[in-house]
Amino acid sequence: MTQTPNSEAPLMQVEDLAVTFYTPRGAFRAVRQASLEIARGEVLGLVGESGCGKSTVAFAMMGYLPGTAQVEGAVRFEGMDITAMSDAELRQMRGNHMAMVYQDPVTSLNPSMRVGRQVEEALVYHLDMTADQARDRAVDLFESVGLADPGRIGRRYPHQLSGGMQQRVVIAMALACEPHLLIMDEPTTGLDVTTEATILDLIVELKDRVNAGILFVSHNLGVISRVADRVAVMYAGEVVEQAAVRDLFKGSRHPYTAGLLSCVPQPPGDDGVEHQLSSIPGAVFDAQVEQSESCLFAPRCPLAQDDCASVSPPMLDAGDDHAVKCLHHENVKPGIWGDLLERQQKPDQDGGVPVLNAKGLRKFYGGGRKKWILFGPSVRQPVRALVDVDMRVGSGRTLGIVGESGSGKSTAARAIVGLIPRNGGSLELHGESLDSHVHERTEEQRSAMRMVFQNPTASLNPKLPIRHAIVRALRKFAGLSHAESNERAEELLESVGLDPSFLDRQPSELSGGQQQRVALASAFAANPDLVVADEAVSALDVSVQAQVLNLLENHQRETGNAYVFITHDLGVVRYVSDDILVLYAGHVAEYGPSPDVLSAPSHPYTEALLSAAPIPDPDAEPTHIRLEGSVPTLRAAFEGCFFAGRCPRKLGDICDHTPPPQQTGLNGDGHVINCHIPVEELEAIQR
Amino acid sequence: MAAADHTAARDVSASANPLLRFASSARSALTLILRTTTGRVGFTIVMVHLTLAVIGPWITPYTPTDFHLDDRFSAPTAAYWLGTDEFGRDVLSRVLAGARSIIWIATVGTVLGVTLGTIVGVTSGYAGGKIDQIIMRIVDWLLAIPSLLLAILVINMATQRFSGVDDSWIIIGIIGISFMPNNSRVIRSATLAVKPLEFVESARLRGEPTPYIMFREILPNVLPVVAVEAAIRISFALLLTAGLGFLGLGVQEPTPDWGLMVAENAKHLSTVPLSALAPGFAMASLVVGINLLADGIRQAQNIPETGDSR
Amino acid sequence: MARFLIVRISLIMVTLLAVSIAIFSLIELLPGDAAALMLGQQSTPDSLRNLQEQMGLDRPPHIRYLEWIGGALRGDLGVSAKSPDISISSVIGERLRNSALLAVSAFVIAVPLGLAMGVWVGSRADTKIDRFLSMGGLVTISLPEFVTGVVMILVLSTMLGWLPSSSIMMPGESIIGNPQVLIMPILTVTGALFAYIFRMARANVIEVMESNYVRTAVLKGLPMRTVMVRHVMPNALLPTITVIANNVGWLFGGLIIIENLFAYPGMGGELINSIKTQDIPMLQSTAMVIAAVYAFSNLAADLTYGLLNPRVRLS
Repeated sequence: MTQTPNSEAPLMQVEDLAVTFYTPRGAFRAVRQASLEIARGEVLGLVGESGCGKSTVAFAMMGYLPGTAQVEGAVRFEGMDITAMSDAELRQMRGNHMAMVYQDPVTSLNPSMRVGRQVEEALVYHLDMTADQARDRAVDLFESVGLADPGRIGRRYPHQLSGGMQQRVVIAMALACEPHLLIMDEPTTGLDVTTEATILDLIVELKDRVNAGILFVSHNLGVISRVADRVAVMYAGEVVEQAAVRDLFKGSRHPYTAGLLSCVPQPPGDDGVEHQLSSIPGAVFDAQVEQSESCLFAPRCPLAQDDCASVSPPMLDAGDDHAVKCLHHENVKPGIWGDLLERQQKPDQDGGVPVLNAKGLRKFYGGGRKKWILFGPSVRQPVRALVDVDMRVGSGRTLGIVGESGSGKSTAARAIVGLIPRNGGSLELHGESLDSHVHERTEEQRSAMRMVFQNPTASLNPKLPIRHAIVRALRKFAGLSHAESNERAEELLESVGLDPSFLDRQPSELSGGQQQRVALASAFAANPDLVVADEAVSALDVSVQAQVLNLLENHQRETGNAYVFITHDLGVVRYVSDDILVLYAGHVAEYGPSPDVLSAPSHPYTEALLSAAPIPDPDAEPTHIRLEGSVPTLRAAFEGCFFAGRCPRKLGDICDHTPPPQQTGLNGDGHVINCHIPVEELEAIQR
Repeated sequence: MAAADHTAARDVSASANPLLRFASSARSALTLILRTTTGRVGFTIVMVHLTLAVIGPWITPYTPTDFHLDDRFSAPTAAYWLGTDEFGRDVLSRVLAGARSIIWIATVGTVLGVTLGTIVGVTSGYAGGKIDQIIMRIVDWLLAIPSLLLAILVINMATQRFSGVDDSWIIIGIIGISFMPNNSRVIRSATLAVKPLEFVESARLRGEPTPYIMFREILPNVLPVVAVEAAIRISFALLLTAGLGFLGLGVQEPTPDWGLMVAENAKHLSTVPLSALAPGFAMASLVVGINLLADGIRQAQNIPETGDSR
Repeated sequence: MARFLIVRISLIMVTLLAVSIAIFSLIELLPGDAAALMLGQQSTPDSLRNLQEQMGLDRPPHIRYLEWIGGALRGDLGVSAKSPDISISSVIGERLRNSALLAVSAFVIAVPLGLAMGVWVGSRADTKIDRFLSMGGLVTISLPEFVTGVVMILVLSTMLGWLPSSSIMMPGESIIGNPQVLIMPILTVTGALFAYIFRMARANVIEVMESNYVRTAVLKGLPMRTVMVRHVMPNALLPTITVIANNVGWLFGGLIIIENLFAYPGMGGELINSIKTQDIPMLQSTAMVIAAVYAFSNLAADLTYGLLNPRVRLS
């Protein structure tokens, strides 16, 4: 029974899709009830938190689910049922009429095959091209996805390309046979914010150029608002809301969508008032639980009423092609997630001794030494990870450090806490000099300065119970007895919003957000003066991220501790920081109070980062400053400006040959910009 | 250190007794292993061998070294279930007795090698830098001699030079020394995978002493790898021990040795094939059982096959 | 690449130097010396002294070591303690050829077969046939060579009478002239090697099949055959070959035992032989040559990896 495409039918139609994986650990309901449609030429954004089933929906569209999956419902591509297709029929569709772009391009490309061949093979197979035709077409494709030197890039192997270039190759591969449907599964996740911006530009441009329907899957509301025409929101395997992008972002009808939006740090409104983040309490509905006759979001919903627990809501029409799976959607309005509290102003930087004061901090890796490898000395230049960085943090205040990967921000964090010994510069805690190695510091110094890491799963020993991390810190730093420390550990867990019974659980039994709370409890154990948070919320879902950010902020208000907050997320850094340090290739690009750094005049690098950051607002003006390439790893000192190689506002020779002067911003000497362009001029071009 | 460890163990234990805790985690590990087919079959075979080795002296019909000169080259009979060899010794009794020495030698040798290898591997991997380079260079050198060649030379030297030395200890020593390098490499790379994880940095930030970090924080995370290593290595040790016996360089007569029994009775395959086949089969089934068990552990702990060899 | 090669060969030289000292010392520790062992019961103090002088054993050990090593570098390993007419170099030359014949034949048979079966089974992971064959492979790997060898002799020689039970030949006959004596030794070596290669190839194929780039290839709509040949095999077989090459040591232990079981005239047979007769000069040189071959096989393994891996080749 061969199916034929029907041009009348919708391009892609998913109806009551349910996907259950049967594993040795029991049934896992990845998708419970998903219905959506993609029309030709439109971009449907599919958004949701991790584990909500959005990727499973994407792979179900390609007919690519493991044999252990049980699929119910219908997936129709141009009227043909994908779930009923034979392998041979699927092969005719895949790569030809429907194609996919994946998260993590580096693992999605065959490492031992030249990228050109990887693009050409689909052309040869599906379109019966000759090798020469395919090669010419591949060159055209490389050009159309904006790869430099398209004629020769096909000869390269994947490992010779940067992450952004790899993703462009994957996109070229997907576009090869001019598919009718393009599925993009988190295509920019894991890329640097500047690279993400250029890839998003490409996708926005492509959607006008190719007449394909696009499914764009992402957890990032900012990214979705930038590319999508319509948006579907998933929660616990169900599509809970579907609407045009503007309707959804400006007038969400589902409490979950409204909650998600209020969890994302937003720039202050026109009135200049900054609001506290809301957060969604509780945890995501367990995928192992059988469907019940109730709304799955009800346990976390502030609008839940009796009927929510007894009726599974159908998809309701909320007008204007806006569908929502909520019985009480007319009650959804701003403020349901708690009043929009105005953030309390923090105390000004006191004139006293700062908690942390770093001057000329420097870290060079390797090199310098002469190594005899049989034939004579070979001198290696060191990698210059951190070059003469100054920073200071007062008590009760937060310093944000931003930059792309390779900018040196993680090195800075580790040099401060002493995990990586610095090679130069001074570091003072309360005016007292700190040794470069953590094990040479005093117990008081160690207990006064604690760290929270990016990956919550890895920051707890998987073989030891939760109790270990907290009790060890208490015994070491607070000098408590065995019984006292166990008692105090329970209090600490409660203070981060976890039940004391968690103490005897294994880390693998906790969700990422819970693990990060344990890490916080362990960091707070000894009432530290300074907590260094290295991408502490980056791995968390947006609702959990808001919980953790609020926890950090409350703790600071109560105890007056200081934070050094490292992140690549400008929205987060804007929200948490009092001062911001912008790093590039180990050099300070800009440093100063948050409002000064985030508004004109800014260093051109800061400007580019701000321009690249996706904002969850479909009305936001698209910005146009883009950086190509990635942060260089340099073994030699820069001759001129560290940023000259990628600077969109480069003046000319002076940038290549003279190190930039340290300029003071318009609001006084707290604000430093290292650039050749005079600040007045910067302000004029950036306004 | 010891006192600190003790309190730490109490701190982290749900049940008061660390031994009980260990027992319960060992039990749950065994449950996982027994869920795999290879693990089940391997575990059964190994248990049968261990049981026979333990109760062997009470069930052997004859003293394994006794000559029954009237019954030389006897086919299997009611008196000699597996027949006799050229000196009329009972093959069944000798096979049962042979299990003890070979299992003892292989196990102790492996424990020695894996313990050394784990200490060296964790130290080298965690220390990094110069220490790591030096240790790994020494390991490379130790690996430059095939272990059977080393064993042959050392045993030859030892037996010629020192008479009356119990050569099972020499073999144990050789197994330990020749297994250490490969083992330490495997454990080192497992350590390197754990070392950059944040909980290790966390422990450093708490100012924990280095031995504490290596053996309390890191070691539990490489233990599954150690377990697989140990299981595979025991099978290599059995093969090495039996191989030496086969070459006439194993434990000295009159102790029955499977390898030597095969070598001696292989000459009489046409008359009493069982005399060579029985110890051969005993040897093969034990190694098969251990390798199946190792595969079960690997599957249960999700450790990829590294392709280590003898 | 050239630099890498030079560095590696230099390192091997240093290693071999250390190994040669180790071997020389292990043998130097023996009680008595080659002369005493040669004379045995008939030794008198006078005859012993004469023979020692004749063999140069009265000089200090480090001088003798240097002479031995110097001779070895010129290809002259001296004469056997059994008779001054037996040149060690020529004996070892012949034995090395015989062993190489055995090892190379086993490799030539086991590598392609093992890889092919590994790929075939690996692409059917978790089917009945996969479970059956991979368990069979594990059992085959576990069987000691002397057990498989004995069973083979029993069946093919004692019971069926098809093949000679040992490789003992008349003086003057060569292995090449009697290919039938090769069959059982080769089969025995091949068995375990084949199973090992098969298991490794299977494990690597399964790992690669789960990779994202194979998913990419499948979702390009390519037929399974193309996916296997272009995307799975190059990436799965590279690590397999590396692992195999790195473990050639596997062969050495097995060869020593198999050669002794079949009385095959190779290096392993000679090694045990020289121990049994306490032919010290022969023992020293045999051990040294085995160690050298071992070291160079490991180098060959590294080079194979470098040549096959584009990442290494291009950097």
